[in-house]
Amino acid sequence: MSNQIISAIKLSISSGRFFVFILCFVSLQAFPQLKELKGRVTDTRKDPLAGVLIQVKNAGVSAVTNENGEFSFRLAAHEEVVLRFSLVGFQTRELAASPARPLTISLEEQVKELNETVVYGKTETAAARELSVKAEVLDLKQAHALPVNISELMNRSAGIRIRQTGGLGSATDINLNGFSGKSIRYFKDGIPMDYLGEGFSLSSVPVNMLERVEIYKGVLPVGLGADALGGAVNLIGRKLTKNYADVSYEIGSFNTHRANFNSYFSKKKLFYGLDGFFNHSDNNYRANVKVTDPETRNQKDAKVSLFHNAYTGYFGQAFAGLKDLAWADEIRLELAAFKFNREQQHPALMTEPYGGIVSRQWSVIPGVRYKKQLRALEIDQFLVYNTLNISRTDTAKGTYDWFGVFTPNPTRNGESSRPSLSEIKNNYLTSRTNLKYSLNASNTLELNQVITQADRKGKDPLGPKFMDTQVDVLSLPSRYLKFVTSAGINSLFFDKKLDNLLIIKLFNYKASGVETYQSREISSTEAKTSKGNTWGIAEGLKYQLSPDHLVRFSAEYSNRLPDHNELFGDGVWIVQNFGIRPERSLNFNLGWRTAARNRYTIELNSFYRRTKGLILLVPIQAPYARYENQQNVKGVGLEADGSFQLGSGFTVSANATWQNMRLFGITVQQDVWKNGARLRNTPFLYGNLGINYQSKPVSKQGATLKAFMFYSYLHEYYLEAIPKRLEGTGLFPRAQVNTLLVIPNQHLVNSGILLNLPARRIALGCDIKNLLNKDIYDNYRVQRAGRSIHLKINYSIK
Amino acid sequence: MYKVTLKSLALASLLTIPLVSCQDDEPEAEVKEGKYVLMTASERTNIPPGWITVFDEIPSGNVSNITTSSLQGQGMGGWRPYNNWLLKMFKTSDASKGIERLKLENGTIVQDNFLAGDNATNGTGNFVIVNETQGFYWDGASPLKIQKFNPTTLSRTGEIDLTAAVNERGAGEAGILYRSVGQKFLAVKNGKLFANVTYAKTNTAQKGFFDDFFPDVYIAVIDIATEKYEKTTKINDTGSISYINENQMYSFDTNGDLYIITQGRSATGGKSKIARIKANDTEVDTSWSIDMDDITTGGKFVTIYATNGKLITTIPNTPLTPGGTGNINTGNIWEFHVIDVATQSFTKIEGVPACTNTGAAYGTVKIDGKLLLRVNVNEANGSNGYYELSSDFKSAKQLFQVTEGGAVTGFYKVEL
Repeated sequence: MSNQIISAIKLSISSGRFFVFILCFVSLQAFPQLKELKGRVTDTRKDPLAGVLIQVKNAGVSAVTNENGEFSFRLAAHEEVVLRFSLVGFQTRELAASPARPLTISLEEQVKELNETVVYGKTETAAARELSVKAEVLDLKQAHALPVNISELMNRSAGIRIRQTGGLGSATDINLNGFSGKSIRYFKDGIPMDYLGEGFSLSSVPVNMLERVEIYKGVLPVGLGADALGGAVNLIGRKLTKNYADVSYEIGSFNTHRANFNSYFSKKKLFYGLDGFFNHSDNNYRANVKVTDPETRNQKDAKVSLFHNAYTGYFGQAFAGLKDLAWADEIRLELAAFKFNREQQHPALMTEPYGGIVSRQWSVIPGVRYKKQLRALEIDQFLVYNTLNISRTDTAKGTYDWFGVFTPNPTRNGESSRPSLSEIKNNYLTSRTNLKYSLNASNTLELNQVITQADRKGKDPLGPKFMDTQVDVLSLPSRYLKFVTSAGINSLFFDKKLDNLLIIKLFNYKASGVETYQSREISSTEAKTSKGNTWGIAEGLKYQLSPDHLVRFSAEYSNRLPDHNELFGDGVWIVQNFGIRPERSLNFNLGWRTAARNRYTIELNSFYRRTKGLILLVPIQAPYARYENQQNVKGVGLEADGSFQLGSGFTVSANATWQNMRLFGITVQQDVWKNGARLRNTPFLYGNLGINYQSKPVSKQGATLKAFMFYSYLHEYYLEAIPKRLEGTGLFPRAQVNTLLVIPNQHLVNSGILLNLPARRIALGCDIKNLLNKDIYDNYRVQRAGRSIHLKINYSIK
Repeated sequence: MYKVTLKSLALASLLTIPLVSCQDDEPEAEVKEGKYVLMTASERTNIPPGWITVFDEIPSGNVSNITTSSLQGQGMGGWRPYNNWLLKMFKTSDASKGIERLKLENGTIVQDNFLAGDNATNGTGNFVIVNETQGFYWDGASPLKIQKFNPTTLSRTGEIDLTAAVNERGAGEAGILYRSVGQKFLAVKNGKLFANVTYAKTNTAQKGFFDDFFPDVYIAVIDIATEKYEKTTKINDTGSISYINENQMYSFDTNGDLYIITQGRSATGGKSKIARIKANDTEVDTSWSIDMDDITTGGKFVTIYATNGKLITTIPNTPLTPGGTGNINTGNIWEFHVIDVATQSFTKIEGVPACTNTGAAYGTVKIDGKLLLRVNVNEANGSNGYYELSSDFKSAKQLFQVTEGGAVTGFYKVEL
């Protein structure tokens, strides 16, 4: 047993996960040492190809190339095999190989029509179909030249709804399989994104910054260490395989400007690069509001342009590192920084306008990543420490009306009910350790541990104080420490057609802070602590009926720990609740997928969820609220997704999602009627239809033209529960009650074109959003923008 | 002032039971034609969503508050009706603060008109109606003024500036961070408007609530005809008069005496009282008060209904606890009692389970001559409906149980 393996096991033990050690030990004794087959895959220009799926034919064994195009297998010493190389967008090749002969192979690009986003239903890379956990993968490379947002691309996928509270830069919430909010965890290149605040979010990151987005519905791979309950989103940065630099600039309605720069340079063992983006939008679209007469105080309907809704954000990242060293395959140092200012036009509902409230976040983020493969053991370590600064300003001595007119009022102390001049520092330490050990061609062990420590301290001269002491409640520190440890084994059975993934997770947290609830006099020395331990288990099975035909099943018992805010509140409005318990969920997924190359792809998926103790924010005594374990939810969901290539450059894609998430287990008499009611504020029926056209080269220089149109339908849903018996019937049910708490049916059409001029390294894109200029709504009926036009130019410098 | 002790009150209550039994020989009230309107809150939140349903007959037995003619909306914690108007302080469509009127239309309830106020300050929309064309309300946008409005048009008509009255005390006091007048208490009696004056130690989200600077509660008296400030009276050694929602926590007795609740020093009580301003007086009656601390430790008053020398209220059977596991709002600890004004004796009403805090809802309403108690028990198989109080005030039995729609928060009759 190598020293590295011993180290790994020591690490497992030192991190308190003894069962992992046992698992490793048993597995190591059970399988013999094998010889390694190494290779490299490139395109026809000799640039390395990442994400190429290499399958050992008739064996069910597979591997995926890394960012340098490299791969390796563990095979019997003299075993001769046939390898099948496939990557979307490239022609599939087969080649004989054995461990004795390292090989290099190149793949030719495939000439075919593609959507600007291609939903593969795969995991880690374009080869994800070979894993047993279900994921949607948005390949953003195809969208780099288009003026589109990640959130709108995700909304075109089955089973996914992204909701924003406004325009560019506004807060987002994703709904996956009926779960939303904190049940869904976010990652950047496999690292939990908490430390990035909102500086790198679905609504702010340009598509150019990313290679793809992976959306996991249910079971997460071992490498994504999080206590997610309903899934996860993993933003994958651009793969650095060859020297390049490109810039893009977008201009659009509402004074929208977005710029992006990406680069990567490599010379021998040194690599370095610079990435960055800039976002600005006035977000001054027109919205339907109630305008109040200043004298009578009666209201009338009006359509006004929003006047205090702008967003400006910057993100920059420099990185440098060394690769192919004796002690490291890659050591990468990075320094990122971001800052954004966001104006707040209105509270959670569009009940009144604000004209002076601004929130900001900024941080400087140094990080280091280390990767090394030691024979069968792969080590991947990431470490980052940063201070996330969050501030909010609400100091206006007066109020604004919906036309932006300010009325001074010296008695006023801020526009909202929460006057603020807050500055909060959140110190984050995030460590992620991932170890993979290939036992043989059929078995891989993986251990992943994420440690997150968050310390919060701040000040707000206008905020709440401890009664009679005038001590700022934000000035007293709080701490939250969380361990998420996952161990899994991926195995192949039954002639290696059955792929099995078993994962066990342990969750531990400890938090401490000072009570802030003010319904009684509180001493600033009343420190509280809270801690908890829990576990989860997941099992994924995939059976490969044929190379392009598979069925997939997964089951999971998962937990989500209460986070720092849920335990200790925000020091202002949300008060602590130490009695809160982890959310628990039992999830099952079943899917079927078939594809005929260059003809069609069809995928059907279903899920069943049974969740207890959903944590919701509940007002308790004005104006305070706290998080509580509130509801039990169970239900099923169905998704159908298809893409059909019609020839002559036309492709049609369509998907539909139906979810039937309902409350159960309510025993309190006044609420018994809610048993069977749909989960509130959760869309349950929606679908998308798209048509793409991509021309063949229209000039000698290879210029191509692409056009697309997408239609999205979102069926009405309800902000509060209604009894099941009054939901209506039929395929498109309409509630049989008189309710003011409905978000109506919505129809959204987007259309655009893309002109690609490869000889000039230029791509020009145009996108018309909300072409029909319909009223569309989002979170809690906050209105979204009407018709808008966006233009984007991409230039590849190198 | 009487010095009331628990023992003396208990003894007095036993002695006065026969008297109570003999007093109420009122003739049966005439039942006028009308529609019965029921409100429930479907969530346990401050400004809860919920349902309103119109019934042709007074409900009995098990009833659902969700039918095809029901209205689902926001701000269903309670209402403050006036004659045939259903009024509340939160707009049904989006919970905005102000004054909203609902009306009957084709057998259902619809939004009628809305007078908007400042959403940022609790207490906005606190109102009192003098007659169908004259009313007063408080708007957090102008905390030192009382707004005038026309209840028929539900439009603002002007304001009364009471800055000078508020500054009669504490003008230079650095510890007072927020001042207001009428934020929590507005009452009209004999041509006078009574408005509480707030001197608060905080100026943040909860300003004006449970943050009194002075131990006494001050009430400004304004002549309605002349709109002139006359004087300030006070309730001694208490705090937190009233609260922020439709349950105004005062009641006029049959003889015109005004009984006012103060919740005390904090959300968990302490110094909570019932005070009185007699019918023909404008001063707080310093010779009469009932202190919760004399009845039980760690309690407070949260509802009151006065009739014929009786005060119907609730008394917690357990000390109040705040915070995440607190019992103030959702604990089944509040027991209905009748207090005799003359003797200050208190008697538990039999047949009514201990229930949750009435919150924004009226604890007692009078419909068709019947006194009905709002009872919600937060547990499996718990009561959730209205109980009819016996004519001798000794017991009550359930009139109807609401099976769908949430916790009962309002019941009223709109006469046709």
